[in-house]
Amino acid sequence: MSTRKKSRRSFLVESAMGLNAAWVAANYPGILAAQQFVHSATQKGQLPHLAVFTEAQAVEIEAMAAQIIPTDDTPGAREAHCVYFIDRALTTFAKNSQPAYIQGLQDLQAKTLQLFPDAGKFSALTSEQQIKVLTQIEKTPFFNLVRTHTVIGFFARPEHGGNFEKIGWKLIGYDDSLNHKAPFGYYDAQPQPKLTGAKA
Amino acid sequence: MKQYPTSQEVDFVVIGSGAAGGIMAKQLSTAGFSVVVLEQGGWGKYGREHEYNKDEWLARNVSEEDRLMSDPSRQRNTFRHNDKEKATRGSHSYGCVVGGGTVTYGGSSWRHMPWEFKEASYDSTIPAGTGMADWPVTYEELEPYYTQAEWEMGMSGLRVDSPFVAPMSKDYPVPPVPLKSSGALFNTAAAKLGLTVVPGPLAIITKPYMGRAACVNCGICSGYGCQVRARSSSAVTMIPLAEKTGRCEIRVRSYVREISTDSSGRVTGVVYFNAQKQEVRQKAKVVILSANGSESPRLLLLSKSARFPDGLANSSGVVGKYLMVGNGGGASALFEHPLNEYKGVISGAGIVDYVGSDPKRGFYGGGRLTARGYLTPLDLGLDGLSPEAPRWGAGYKKALREEANHRMTINCFVTQMPLETNRVDLDPDVKDEWGLPAMRITLTSHPDDFKNMEFFRKKSIEILEAAGAKKVWAPPINDTRGGAHNRGTCRMGNDPKTSVVDKFHKAHDVPNLYIVDGSSFVTGGRNHPTMTIQALAFRAADHIIRNAKKGNIRTSV
Repeated sequence: MSTRKKSRRSFLVESAMGLNAAWVAANYPGILAAQQFVHSATQKGQLPHLAVFTEAQAVEIEAMAAQIIPTDDTPGAREAHCVYFIDRALTTFAKNSQPAYIQGLQDLQAKTLQLFPDAGKFSALTSEQQIKVLTQIEKTPFFNLVRTHTVIGFFARPEHGGNFEKIGWKLIGYDDSLNHKAPFGYYDAQPQPKLTGAKA
Repeated sequence: MKQYPTSQEVDFVVIGSGAAGGIMAKQLSTAGFSVVVLEQGGWGKYGREHEYNKDEWLARNVSEEDRLMSDPSRQRNTFRHNDKEKATRGSHSYGCVVGGGTVTYGGSSWRHMPWEFKEASYDSTIPAGTGMADWPVTYEELEPYYTQAEWEMGMSGLRVDSPFVAPMSKDYPVPPVPLKSSGALFNTAAAKLGLTVVPGPLAIITKPYMGRAACVNCGICSGYGCQVRARSSSAVTMIPLAEKTGRCEIRVRSYVREISTDSSGRVTGVVYFNAQKQEVRQKAKVVILSANGSESPRLLLLSKSARFPDGLANSSGVVGKYLMVGNGGGASALFEHPLNEYKGVISGAGIVDYVGSDPKRGFYGGGRLTARGYLTPLDLGLDGLSPEAPRWGAGYKKALREEANHRMTINCFVTQMPLETNRVDLDPDVKDEWGLPAMRITLTSHPDDFKNMEFFRKKSIEILEAAGAKKVWAPPINDTRGGAHNRGTCRMGNDPKTSVVDKFHKAHDVPNLYIVDGSSFVTGGRNHPTMTIQALAFRAADHIIRNAKKGNIRTSV
């Protein structure tokens, strides 16, 4: 896995390689959305270049992350840039996990083909299909690794590459000002009952 | 900072700079003695505490340089439940930085109850065959030193009149931390159940005190260094004062491997590994061992000689025995409205009515229930949701949204009886990174300890339900395998045949060796050891200084 820059066109061509043409045509908007995101992010310089994953690998990992913390009416792992967090983690603190990702991606591919022989790629499946694949591997070390890294990427401080614009913190209502004053919550703001136990 | 040549015999070597070692260093150097403190860990962010980060990801991937706790992959240790088992790799870890565990602890500062010092003769519920024994020190003797510690370190709290809280001769220097929602829910439950809620006494200042700033309720608290120096650690209270005397040198990355003795059985100094793992000798007239309740006995066992074949100060054979590491239990719950428990200190309020043992329960045991929330974002996301919550997908995200800030947890701090079979010794096979025999922990709690944990688990559920919880869950109880609350392993007593140190912490067998830390505990209290360690340290220092000033330190302490 190395840093590679590619034109948008060659990236898309490569990503779609090996796919059943009819299937690609049917699912193209979804594939495009997934690939477009990684592509534009890396090309526009908004994000650091991928250091470990190829763009194609990043698409697969991001598809997994986006199922772990999906996007609904609020942003999910995709918008939080979890895949960039993971990529960076694999060059630093999680360096030892690189082989597990390489192997895991191969296994993901195999499982995808086993369940959906025409699909070719996990990222190219529909959301329902992706959930089916992940449900089958959710007990595997690889899934747990990606789950752990996705969650960390979602909630760790943004300077590590994920939690983009504090998306993760916003979801759970976490105020990161590190300086709080009482009342902190609902219950301590209410009048307190008189207790008889201990006199000050 | 003062620097002593290693060739110079100093008055005191203090091994460890934590709750006890920091106090010993400050008291002895202030009294005019030359002191070298040997700290196994590094400086941390000593003197530049604002650089402590609040980064959960970095905290999980801390560099050796920035570590604040020992590293079980270097300070290797093994664990087994009993003598029949082969010990396997353990995860025991303790504070390992200038200031020791006080740099990162939650700061709970409960005093022992007066009767906890004579529980063995006072309490009819104690079963036969345990190591429960009376302390040679009374609460009345220790009370002035609790007060001294509270005022010199800077503890916050509320002095209350309650049969479940130790009486105090003086108020706390600063008021208690603000009520949190978990404390308010304790109040709700206590009003219904007729219980007693007390704001947790904490080593966290709530007003500027002794040149330090008040807590800002940042919320990334226990486990992290305090950026504003509000946590009253040894590193921001005692050590700076010790350094300021010009008579105290703190030597970091100094891992003591032996306390050396001469043929007459007196301590002559220590041998330690420096940062480069080279052996260095430091001579001292007196050695104070404050390395914590697990490392202190280990070092004594490592310090074997012809004169002390079973380890130093171990003619009784009880060095390392009667280990208590701390038991807990508790429950968690979700509530309708947000609590935002991530704000503020980790441990706000306590329910104290069950501190004593009660024959009606049918077993020995007691403890305190503390109100906690403290789920930082990563803790919540990785493993902090209620047990049935999905681990990924739309359901996971929904649970994150719904449960975040709506949860509180009760953590109980309860008794664990000292048992002779529970102990620290040297692993016969495994070596640590320095090539020394690794610490081996053998531990199974007494059956009454388990019954007590179960009692507190059920109480926790009852209290959360009374507080109006929407959903309550409680993991099954278990006893711990290690951790920072090690006690009992060099127990204090009047009889040299059954104890390691006397009532002033002097080793029965060695005239110029003092052992001052959690290892001195005879019984474990309610697993909130630090306040008592600190009071004992101030008292021991007083005694040592008084005697040392009488003449030749080497012979008069």
